[in-house]
Amino acid sequence: MKTIEKLSENILDKLSIDFLRSQVLKNAYGNNDTRIAAMDPRMLLVWYLFFGLVPWFVHSVPFLIGCFLLVAVTTWMARVAGLVLFLFAVGVFSQTGYLFLVTLLFGGDASAVVPLLTLTLKVATVSLASVTIFSGLDPDKLANGLMWYGCPERLSFSISYAYRMLPLLMEEFQNVLLSYRLRGNPPAHDTFGGKIRYLVYQVQIVMHAFYPLMLNTAKRSRTTVEVLEIKGYRYAAVNKEVKKIKLSALRLTNDDLLFAAVSFLWVAVAILIATLV
Amino acid sequence: MATQKQAANSSQKLMVFVLTMALYGLATLFTELIPSFQVGIVEFSVEYFLFIPLSLAMLFDPMSAALGAATGELVFSEIMLGQFGGLGELEKFITVTIGVYIAGRLVRDPRNRAMVGIAAFGGVFIQQLLGCIVDIAKVQFGVEDFEAVAGLPESVFATEGFAFLNDVLFSGILFCLLPTLYLVPKLYGKIEPLLGMQPRTEATAMEPIGAKVIVGSLIAFAAAMAAELLATSGFSVIDWEADWAGSGTSIAVGIVVAAALSVVAVLAIRKKGEQNTRKGV
Repeated sequence: MKTIEKLSENILDKLSIDFLRSQVLKNAYGNNDTRIAAMDPRMLLVWYLFFGLVPWFVHSVPFLIGCFLLVAVTTWMARVAGLVLFLFAVGVFSQTGYLFLVTLLFGGDASAVVPLLTLTLKVATVSLASVTIFSGLDPDKLANGLMWYGCPERLSFSISYAYRMLPLLMEEFQNVLLSYRLRGNPPAHDTFGGKIRYLVYQVQIVMHAFYPLMLNTAKRSRTTVEVLEIKGYRYAAVNKEVKKIKLSALRLTNDDLLFAAVSFLWVAVAILIATLV
Repeated sequence: MATQKQAANSSQKLMVFVLTMALYGLATLFTELIPSFQVGIVEFSVEYFLFIPLSLAMLFDPMSAALGAATGELVFSEIMLGQFGGLGELEKFITVTIGVYIAGRLVRDPRNRAMVGIAAFGGVFIQQLLGCIVDIAKVQFGVEDFEAVAGLPESVFATEGFAFLNDVLFSGILFCLLPTLYLVPKLYGKIEPLLGMQPRTEATAMEPIGAKVIVGSLIAFAAAMAAELLATSGFSVIDWEADWAGSGTSIAVGIVVAAALSVVAVLAIRKKGEQNTRKGV
């Protein structure tokens, strides 16, 4: 009995906000030393454009399997946080597995499996490719890459801002939440009705916690914008010279070319197999 | 002064943008991480914290708040977590923007609770409806031989329709309507001075929604639809693929040889580079 109690406690521990926070931070900041992170964002974005789009248009199963294997390897290379992979698995299932169950419910049979399997393979390939890029690259680099391709300055500003503000915001939210809990008086949750009341109470606290958070963030965003104004941000955002200086750090290396060439070879072999089958 | 329209200058618009982005981004980050649980087929999830951009759009410039919310969701929960889904995200971006913007424009006086409630519910309704339409279209184009699969068409309409009702009635009321009704009157007059602005009143509000807004929304929605279908259909490309598959293995062999040559070339360049640096030192 005691071990079971301990086990459930363990699982609950894992699902705390602290755990979520550490996973998110690990994902955003923790893998700057991988091979994928060291690559040029411009090349990776082109790579992503291929693996994010082409699988949707192709119905050949060998080709899709080939693409899937490749992006699985790159995901492994990027050392993506466990939680993200878990969310990926849940997402893929909820997109297609759920549909399969309902299809069975409406009198479909096993013939529904094949198209759905292709669909699953497509969804999995496309999302793993995006996991590789958006979780493997550090957001600052990603923002620079997007900017190079002429994405609106607002977007790359938002990414850089989010990257820096996220830990602060999460901590503040947690502090507000904890102070509400400290002052609050949660309902007893032994019975079923009590459990529901407890859940409602928790949700209510989260909602209430946004009130002080909104005021604090309003103050902070004013400070941020005023500081940006002092530095001439709105002028710099549209100035070509500034953009040039900002992007001068990007450099295409031999590693990038090798990565692109190997991916190309792999895809070519997959196409060859697809035509042979 | 009092009759002036509530026109924020551009740095204040940026403030509203940053504020909404940070808050809604944080909230969607949590919803992305907290697993939803299902009782039967009724899904209980803290679907989204749309009440945050809704409240802010009612208090401040609606367009900045709407764009901020959509960007926040994109950046925090998709890009930071590596869940970015390519072109499909464009659809969410546009539907959230339309929903929040219209809700924000509907409210002329944030002290009028009835109007706030209607606008909040309307915003969710619009956003969910647009998303639902796109979802159905998406599955119809995404699966090969869609009509040939027994039971699939009905199941798609059933699941999507049910998810729509579930989201609107459950999340719409619990997580959007009630918190917005709580927050808007409470924030009114308190949060505006923090950004250096006057609170919105009947006299300073923008004109009621005109044909221009509706036409603009429809065009934006058409763009979202087009992006989504572009990402999932591509029938002409399938034809092209069949052609190319039929034309035989020789072309494929050619591609493989070209790819292999490029790998060899890169390796050769690398080796040469290494030798050069050694010589150079």
